[in-house]
This record gives sequence, structure tokens and C-alpha cells, in this order.
Amino acid sequence: MNEYLSDPEEAKDYLPRYKYIYALVAFTFVIFIMRLWYLQVFQGEELRLFSEKNRFKIKKIQAPRGMVIDREGKILVDNFPGFEVSITPQYATELEKTAHIISPILGLPTEKIIHQVKVEKKKNGPFRPVVIKNNLNRDEVARLDRLRINNPGLDISMTIQRSYLLKENGAQLFGYVGEISKDELPKYNKNLRPDEQFSQGDIVGKNGLEVVYDKDLRGSSGQDFIQVDARGREITSLSVPEFIGEVSLTREPIPGRTLMLTIDKDIQEAAQASFVAKERIGGAVALNPKNGEILAWVNGPSFDPTEFSKGISSKMWTELINHPFKPLRNKVIQDHFPPGSTFKAIVALAALEEKEVTKSSTVFCPGFYKFGRRIYHCHQKRGHGYVNVVQALEQSCDVFFYKMGLALGIDRIAKYARSFGFGKRTGIHMVNEVPGLVPTEEWKQKTFGEPWQPGENLSNAIGQGFFLTTALQLAQAFTSFANAGPVFQPHFVKKVLDIDGKVIQDIKEELKFDTVTGQNTEVKVSKQNMDIIREGLWMVGNGPSGTAKWHKVANTPIAGKTGTVQLFTLSADQVFADCKSRPIKQRHHGWFVAYAPADNPEIVVSVLAEHACSGSGGAAPIARDIIEAYMKKYHPEKFVAAAPKIIPNKETPDNGNAD
Amino acid sequence: MEMQIEERGFLKKLDFNLIFVILALNIIGLINLFSATHDPETVGINRLFTMQMVWFSGGWILFFLVTLIDYKVFLKMAYPLYVINVIFLIVVDLIGNIAYGAQRWLDLGFFKYQPSETMKLVIALVLAKVLAEKSPISGLGLKELAMPVFLTLIPFGLTVSQPDLGTAMMIASVAGSMLLFVGIRKTILISLIITGILIIPLAWNFGLKEYQKNRVLTFIDPNRDPQGAGYNSIQSKIAVGSGKFFGKGFRNGTQSQLDFLPERHTDFIYSVLSEEHGFVGSFTVFTLFIILLLIGIKIASQARDKYGALLVVGCLSIIFWHMFVNIGMVIGMLPIVGIPLPIMSYGGSGMLTTFVCLGIISSVSARRYIF
Repeated sequence: MNEYLSDPEEAKDYLPRYKYIYALVAFTFVIFIMRLWYLQVFQGEELRLFSEKNRFKIKKIQAPRGMVIDREGKILVDNFPGFEVSITPQYATELEKTAHIISPILGLPTEKIIHQVKVEKKKNGPFRPVVIKNNLNRDEVARLDRLRINNPGLDISMTIQRSYLLKENGAQLFGYVGEISKDELPKYNKNLRPDEQFSQGDIVGKNGLEVVYDKDLRGSSGQDFIQVDARGREITSLSVPEFIGEVSLTREPIPGRTLMLTIDKDIQEAAQASFVAKERIGGAVALNPKNGEILAWVNGPSFDPTEFSKGISSKMWTELINHPFKPLRNKVIQDHFPPGSTFKAIVALAALEEKEVTKSSTVFCPGFYKFGRRIYHCHQKRGHGYVNVVQALEQSCDVFFYKMGLALGIDRIAKYARSFGFGKRTGIHMVNEVPGLVPTEEWKQKTFGEPWQPGENLSNAIGQGFFLTTALQLAQAFTSFANAGPVFQPHFVKKVLDIDGKVIQDIKEELKFDTVTGQNTEVKVSKQNMDIIREGLWMVGNGPSGTAKWHKVANTPIAGKTGTVQLFTLSADQVFADCKSRPIKQRHHGWFVAYAPADNPEIVVSVLAEHACSGSGGAAPIARDIIEAYMKKYHPEKFVAAAPKIIPNKETPDNGNAD
Repeated sequence: MEMQIEERGFLKKLDFNLIFVILALNIIGLINLFSATHDPETVGINRLFTMQMVWFSGGWILFFLVTLIDYKVFLKMAYPLYVINVIFLIVVDLIGNIAYGAQRWLDLGFFKYQPSETMKLVIALVLAKVLAEKSPISGLGLKELAMPVFLTLIPFGLTVSQPDLGTAMMIASVAGSMLLFVGIRKTILISLIITGILIIPLAWNFGLKEYQKNRVLTFIDPNRDPQGAGYNSIQSKIAVGSGKFFGKGFRNGTQSQLDFLPERHTDFIYSVLSEEHGFVGSFTVFTLFIILLLIGIKIASQARDKYGALLVVGCLSIIFWHMFVNIGMVIGMLPIVGIPLPIMSYGGSGMLTTFVCLGIISSVSARRYIF
């Protein structure tokens, strides 16, 4: 280091500079002390009074959540005002007395009120009001209001309650809302700008559309600059100190946006009514094949999401969680099962395309098929005789498809399955969708470490092996049959509107894939072969031996395919014979996927009927009801002329061994 | 000379005035923090208070360690420390870009290290070195200015882009104070001021984020901002003023105890003090800071070389500007900026940096030249 650095003579160079530092320090000292004197001595009295008698606080004003309306503007989800009574622990100096007085009015035991206040105080701090009861009636409000003066900390406030007008109907679709808890806050605020941050107690979507479109529905909260007294109660008219002046710190909340769904309330209600009347477990979806708009979406059993807005009781929550048939599940996309015989449409098309069969070639079905040392049964014990591809679909002949499966092999079938959208999520804007599964030889080797067995080609060809699919995936695949090719992205939301009804976002149909032109698909199928399958599907609903011929709608040909998911491997004799006599949890699931009118389809319906024994008996009647509701609404003329012939559902054979 | 000082013994070398002032601030700070963090609901001592005990114990250990070290060691370490710190700033910037939003620290597990915090100190070290080697009596010319300005602009830019405007302004203030102390040629100084006046509107339009602009505008006109800043400013003024002459008493500050004050244990710690101990309390603490600064200036003027003098001036400017901006904000004379009050505010990074600063001052003092 240079020697001169250590030279004190050098450091003396700076001596004349220190006067500037002294000046700066002195200046700061004088100015700050004057300011402190001004605030603390000159204005001190006024500010002291102000801080003791009343205080300023920012009160958050929750923005009303956006409404949800159906395609015609009918309200599905709305907000209703309600009153709630709360106790703020910090100000509740006579908690026991207060609890004792309000106990008979609310019909709650005194100890329970005290306990609740103490528990929440520990959890959320003394300044957060503890809600004792919500949904107060007018009488309760009037009686409690009088008690407020002598019971510090007791308060009545207005709340906005999210209300689901369809009650149990569509609960899994709409979802529900709830308060953000203290523990959830960091997660919610992680990626938000400072001015968008949530605070404890804010209402957010927790499931279904409420969570998917939370950003649109939520709006942004406003705030009010209020004065409160020493007990935390709001004061309206008190003079504002001079130094605050004419400050207006109020900001109006911006209400959430309205979601206009593609759902048709009438069809939604018909679907739900059908589900409830038949006490079905499962899910159903109806969509418009021409644009992918979902018209109805129901799941059974269900629950009333409004209970969550009220603050669901732990008893009810436990019941929902432990219910054997899982009411909270969005079964349309969250439950996947083997497609059963509905999958035969895909295998038939694959066989035609791969030239393993022609339209006219036939297969003899004696009622079973012997492969290796095992006998594979057809569901029809006596057999179907000679069947061609159309008849095989109509009667759902298993033997025909055993042979196709063997001829094609799993990898060729998988290619067609994937092209129709199986094995991956449909991409619908909804939480908890499962992808399903399309098996291949490679997949089996990877997953089980075992090679693919030739025998597995047989069971997978009738949709009973490793394949897994959801009701929505089936609806999507059958849209391709309905339209002879194109499939549009399934979606719920038609428009997003602001509070004045101005359209913020207009969601148009979006072509997802087309199996006939080969757009976005692995394989391209010919129009001729597609039409052969469509003919087969038509025969299912209209042919003399069709598996769904009992379920008709006046003047409306329905095409589709039934399917049954065997939960257990059974011997030939017990396959269907005693399904209904088994405990419900051991009964088969039924599928039915259909489109109507078959010549120019306007609606595709996919129904999953869990533990309903069969597709034709369990799922098809619901699909029929939904299609009928649709036709009655949009084509009432078809029901005027040809009313006489009513096909009662009772004729449905109970053994349901049609597929 | 070196030997002479060593012979006088370590205890004798210490500047006890300096230590007493720091200790006084430290004790008042802890009492005050106890009140600010105390939760009337719980009987035990708040975790933040316990942590602060850990920080200030660590701070004092650092203080004595740094005092023992001859400050010339920092001369050798200035550039390596500078490079390492800039690298950390770049790392934080990159992480901040990946994870949305502002990230100012690196998680070291036990401790969240904030590189911009240590950068204030490192810039003082490196500028002291550069300026001690080259500073004509006539004042700094363009040639001499180039290097220090360049060295300042790199960390300044990185900190601005985090974005942490408050700390960036601190880095610039420390550097600016040191340059002005050494002296800049009049012609250059005047042209710099003019350029500054021209650049400010540009920086305003393109450099600042919306919320940063809001803070400045809110300071000028509190009616503007219905959201955070205006509210904080008003609440802080109420807290300070309502303390009157003698204060409301320990743990009796209604503004601070009842959650009206935001960030009361960090940026608004001085308003807790002012509310509970009134003019007497706020005057005492402020005066202790002024005495600390005066002791520091005296140490600088007695330094045995230019480097020592500049080091002390740099460290003092860090403490001064923090105090100036923080107290100015609390008493409603400056906009709301997230700058803590040295020694008093809660916080590990700040506490440790402050004590290293004080240690350096003490180290220069221990090796001062007795005239």
C-alpha cells in the first residue's frame, strides 16, 4: 500500500470539509426538533384527544361476487343480503353476561358462545369479530340491535351470501365459496401485486366454476375510511381534525363480472330431475356437437353449495366427506372407468379402416369364443348367429369384437382411441379432471414390467381391460360420430360480462380435432367408414334388436351406444342374472352415449350410471329424458302431431342384458 | 506508530463515548421493541423480540471484532467484497425475474441475506479506497469522478431493477455524500446539478413504477391516495402527536398497540417511541443519534490517514441517511419509504450492517492519530 496513505498530513486536507457535515447535521437537528415540537406540543392536545376518543380505520368493503346466468340470462347463482351477529373479543369486556343474554334469542347455549369466542380469539387475534350466528331473521335482528348499547363488542352486520338458486342441481359444476383462512393466505398472495393482496376473511371460490373463474367473479374490494370509538364501534359524525382536511379515502368496490354459461337451465333441471327420480349415482353431460357448448352437467348424489356460504357445519362437512357415493365429486370428469361396450364404436371403425373387416363381411357368434385354454363369453348366451359390423354394434356382439381385437392388436386400437380424444384431459376449464387411460404394449411393459398378453386384446376390444375414460371424454368422442368428423372444444362459459352488461369476453366455438380430415389427430378415417359406424349407432336406438331401442323420444331418432362396466369377473351364468340382488356397491356401472336427432344431431348426451347394473337399463333412460327435454324446448312441433305413442320406461327389461 | 497504538492496550484504545451512545440507543431500542411487539394476549416474550436479542448480541460481537481489525485490511478486501456483492445482487435479480415480483433476499436457511443491504457498506469501502488514492485538493475532476461513478452505478442499477428504490437511493446517497465530502470542482458540480434537473422528469416518466410514483405524489398531496400510503402517513402523525410532551407511557400507546400502525416494529418503530414517550422520548433518541454523528465526525477528523477519514464519513453517511429518511417519514416530512431506523428497528440484516459500520468507526478511532 502506498506510504502516503498513512500520512496524517494528507488527512488534514479534509479538515476544511467537515464544516459542511456539521452544517447538515445541525440543519437536520433544528428542522426535526421543530417538527416534533409542532406535532407533539403544539398539536399534541388535539391529536391526543383524537387518538383517545376516536380513531381512523380502513374498513374493507367486499365487492359483490359476479352472478352466474344461463344461456338465456336466467340466474343460476346470485348474492343475497343477510345479517349476522358477531362479538369482537377485544371489546367484549363482559363476555359472559353478553353470551348469557343473547343465548335465548339465538337458541345457542351460553357456554358454546363463550367457548367459540375464546377459541377464535386465540386463533385470529382479539380484533377480528367472531361470527356467532348468520342468517338472522328480522325478529332476531331487532332484538339484538337493542342489546348492542349495553353489551360492548356485540355487533350486527350485513353480509352478502352467495346463493345457488338451483340448490343441489349442478353443485359440482358451480362449486362453492369460502373464507380464506390464515394459513391459506401466503399461498393466495404469493403471486399477487401488493394492491391485489387478499386479507383474512376474504371470500374466494373454492371449487368448480367459482374457483376456475375466481378472478372474473371476485371483482375488487373497495374501502371506507371510518372512525371507530375506543370500543371499536363505528362512529358516523365526528369532526375531522384539520390536518386531515377534506380527505376522501373512500374507494368504491368493483363488482365481479357476470358469467353467462352455455348451460340451459331447463335442460339442466330436466337432467337433474331424471337423476333424482331414478335415484342414480353418477354423472351426465349434454352438449351441442355443433360448437362444444355444454347444455347440462349433473352429478348425483349432490349437495347444496349455499351451505358453504353460510359457513358449513363440521357435521355436514363430515357427512359429505364420508358419504359412500361422494357427493362432492364432479363425476363427469373426475371418475374414470373402462368404457365398456361404448368403445366398440371405436374398435369397429379401426377394424374397417385397417381393412380387417368390410361392411358386408360377417362373423359367426355362437355365444362364446375359445381362445387358448379360456372361453370368452358373449353377453348373449345363445349367441347372435352371423353378424356384420352394423349388426355387431346394434346388438353389441362381444364375439365379433373379440375377433376384431385379436386381428388389430392393442397398439392399432390405441391409435384410433387417441385420435378420438381418449387418454388425455379434454381441456375443459374445470378443476380435478382426470386424463383416463389408453393402454399400449409399451405402456404395459413399463407399468407392470410384463409383456402384453394376446388374450388381453379380447377384453380390451370390448372396453373392459385397462382402458379408462370419463363421461365427458365419451361425449367428445361421440361428437365426432355425430358430426361425422369435427369436434369442438367442450366449454361452459359463453360470455363474460361486466356489471353494465358489456361483453368483456365472448367465447366462440373452437375446432379441436377432426377425425375425417385428420386435423389434430393421429389417424384420418374415411367418410364411408364413418357413415357405417353412424349406421350401427343408429341401429342401437332404432333397430329391431338395438340395445337401446326401448328409450325413444317422439319423432326423434336417437343414435348411440350402451356400455356396462363389470366391476368383478363373473362366471357366465351370473353375469347379469343377479346384478340387482347384489349389494349396491358390487353392481356394475352403466354407460350410455347418444346423439339426436340422429340425422342432424343437435345434442350429444353422455351418462354414467354407477352401480346401476347396465347401460341400457341404468344410463339410457336418463339420456332419453335429457334429449326429450331438449326436443320439447327447441322443437315443440315434433310433439304436437305425434303424441299418441308413449313408450313407458317400464318396458325396459330389468335384467338389462342387452349389451 | 502502529506499535505505539498496540502498546496502549485494547481497552484504552476504545472510544467509550461512542460505545455508551450506541449502548444507550440499543437499550432504549429494545425496551421500545418490547412494547411494539408485545401481544397483550400472550404472557411470554414475543419471538421477534427474542430474535432481536440474538441480532444485537451478534451485532456487538461484530462491533468488537471489527474494532480489533486494522481498517487497512478493508482496503485490501474492498474490491473482492465489491465483486462478490455485485454477483449476489445479480443472482437475486435473476431469481426475482423467475419468481414473479420483487425478491430482495437469498434464503440461506437460517437467515435471509439481502445483498442490497450489505452493498451500502461495501460501496463506502470501495469509494473510500478509490478516493483516498486520488483526490486533488482542488476537487474531483471528470477524470477522477469516472471510476467512483461507474462503481456506484452498477449496484445502483441492479438494486433499482429488483425493484427496491429505497435501498438504491441509499446507495446513491452514500456515494454522493462521500463525493461531495471530498469535493467536486465547481464547474462540474454546477453542470451535474443542471443535468440532474433535466433528467428527473425523464426518470419520473420511464424509471419509476406506478406505486413508487404514487408514494411521492401522496407525500405531496395526501388526498391523492385512498389506499395505503396516505393512511400510514396520517396514522403515524396521529401516533407521534398524541404522545404530547411526556407520552402515554410504556405499552400504553393506543395507536401502536391497537394495530393502527402498520409495520410498527420495523419502519414505524420511531412512532411507537414518540407515542409512548412523547416529546421527551423522541427528543432524547434523536439527540442521541445526533451525538453519535458528532462523535463520528470528530473521529473522522482525527483519522491517521485519508482512507480512515473517508471510511468514517461513508459509514456515518449510511447511519445519517437512514435516520434522516426514517424519522422524516414518521413525522410526515418525507414520503413513505421502507427504510428502517438504525439500531432501533427490528431486523437482522440492518442490525448487523449497522454494527459493522459502527465497528469500522471504532476501529478508525482506535488507531487515530493523537495530535
